[in-house]
Amino acid sequence: MSENTKQNYLNHPKGIMSWLLTLDHKRIGLMYLFSGILFFFLGGLLALVMRFELAAPGNDIISNEVYNNAYTLHGAIMIFLFIIPAIPGALGNILLPLMVGAKDVAFPRLNLASFYIYSFGALFAMYTIINGGVDTGWTFYTPYSTQSTSNVVPMTLGIFIIGFSSILTGLNFIATVHKMRIPGLTWYKLPLFVWALYGTSLVQITATPVLAITMVLLMLERFLGIGIFDPALGGDPVLYQHFFWFYSHPAVYIMILPAFGIISEIIPVHSRKKIWGYKFIAYSTLSIAFIGFLVWGHHMFTSGQSVFSQIVFSFITYFVGIPTGVKIFSWILTMYKGQVSFTPPMFYALAFLFLFTIGGLTGIFLGAVALDIHLHDTYFVVAHFHYVMQGGTIVAFLGGLHHWWPKSFGVMYNQTIANIAALGVFIGFNGTFFPQFLLGLRGMPRRYATYDEQFVELHSYSTFWSGILGISIFIAVMNLFWSFIKKNKVDPGSNPWGGMTLEWTHTSSPPHPHNFEEEPVLQHGPYDYDKVIVEKTYKK
Amino acid sequence: MSEHHITPLKTYLIIAASLLFLSGVTVWVSYIDLGSFNIVLAMFVATVKASLVAFFFMHLLWDDKKNLTMFLMSLMFFGIFVTITMLDTGFRGDLGLNPETKDPINKRAAFYDTLPLTDTHGHPVDEHSDEHHEDKDHH
Repeated sequence: MSENTKQNYLNHPKGIMSWLLTLDHKRIGLMYLFSGILFFFLGGLLALVMRFELAAPGNDIISNEVYNNAYTLHGAIMIFLFIIPAIPGALGNILLPLMVGAKDVAFPRLNLASFYIYSFGALFAMYTIINGGVDTGWTFYTPYSTQSTSNVVPMTLGIFIIGFSSILTGLNFIATVHKMRIPGLTWYKLPLFVWALYGTSLVQITATPVLAITMVLLMLERFLGIGIFDPALGGDPVLYQHFFWFYSHPAVYIMILPAFGIISEIIPVHSRKKIWGYKFIAYSTLSIAFIGFLVWGHHMFTSGQSVFSQIVFSFITYFVGIPTGVKIFSWILTMYKGQVSFTPPMFYALAFLFLFTIGGLTGIFLGAVALDIHLHDTYFVVAHFHYVMQGGTIVAFLGGLHHWWPKSFGVMYNQTIANIAALGVFIGFNGTFFPQFLLGLRGMPRRYATYDEQFVELHSYSTFWSGILGISIFIAVMNLFWSFIKKNKVDPGSNPWGGMTLEWTHTSSPPHPHNFEEEPVLQHGPYDYDKVIVEKTYKK
Repeated sequence: MSEHHITPLKTYLIIAASLLFLSGVTVWVSYIDLGSFNIVLAMFVATVKASLVAFFFMHLLWDDKKNLTMFLMSLMFFGIFVTITMLDTGFRGDLGLNPETKDPINKRAAFYDTLPLTDTHGHPVDEHSDEHHEDKDHH
């Protein structure tokens, strides 16, 4: 092995400043990854506190006020500090330039700036926690949010700032996909994760400014008394919900599209079969991104909006099911007659297929106005969006981490422990959230610190399994980190899963500081398992 | 878009004159009472002006068509937001139970505190007769 191949982005250059001021997309990706995991643990801890409070009726562990803070911070941290920045910021940053054969993203300095803007926004969120929290719920609905004495201002300011980080990352990725592809890497030869990031970025730059506008309007009302949302000043509180959900519904797709991209990578590689319906998956990504802009009112069926718009929103909502169904069927058909190997990433991908499908189908329930009026603000909604966000996005994220871990760090984790943890996540997740569908159907409202005796049994099930879920995720992440200590190195030239995209075939593990020692030449498409045989190589 | 487009000075002057003219139009129409159509017209003129600036002063017309697409997309998304939101605000209370409460938000606002208070059926309510109200409920 030459001296040059020993050099990788983790060990060259050295020193703390070389990390803090790095322009290397892989290092910036890692900084996103570790801050994301930190916030994930913080948000997860808050979730467990709530679950244990709900193990029995009454205020056993925390007061109503603390509970209100806990669910607000859990939602805000998970969404704005972990899910939205984590997958595009971490896996997207590390992989996008490698997948298109580029040395870096189109604007490396802007990329670093995005990370620091994100960190700066996160500081405001942290200040909120230290200063006593915020109790409005992560949606900051008016009129309560303009009257609440909790820290609405620092929290919304933090979100406002983090929004800019999202916009800049999106801009950077779009420019990278358009301008940095190696010759021959045409649109239909791009890995589907790149398509997913592209779709996500489009949503980020078109929807996120609306969030910023909303937060500014909220502040204008709070400080200058301009009547926009507050009826006492002549405003319209439902208008706030229109503004908020015009961003936040597309934001659901900012959260789930990269997860779709990860699954589109994991399934063909671990089934050793060409992806079924490449163009369908690529275009379904774009159509989900577009339809996502037309359905925001389905969050507002009980807000008092006009019946006419309820019908329109309900109708359009069903269209989202089409491209999503296209993806699910394509993934299943990809596995059909493939050589499916039950590796940890594949376990997560399979878990994703089950959990996301349940999440998506219950979304169809909630899209029906008549049913939604019954189920609105109950645990049915809580269970639905956790099946999408955690069962979908976070499970896919864990799958992606396991898939690209040997590539990013050049070390392999214990696969048996990873499989057991994945199973624990799957069972623990269903145990936690499936009872919540039943709770919701029976009328258990969300955001309450206590409940009627009749709900005790289902709530205690949910709490028990949430413990298993928490422990499983902890084991999964610790197992990954343990690989650093164990130093179970993979050969720099290895390709443990037999991937066909450029990051597996043309660069070392961990990658070279400049990604590729020479500009890669494209020899085959990203999923050409029917044309080329790629060996799985783990160690020499 | 390999070469840089050079716009003749005459074009710039024509656009500048159009912008000034359109500013005049904005002021002029503000004196005519068209009801709620006033705001639509003002926004339309403003959009035309902004588009002229983007197309000619900012060279969008001669630039890479992707940038034009982005610009048009932003207009489209804005249109989607405003149109669909107005499907709500324009038809609010369209179950039509009672004309008085058709726009409950604005009519109840302290800001528009000119109307007498009414209950949900439009019957006048005396502000100072809470006890009387309770009696009614009991019967």
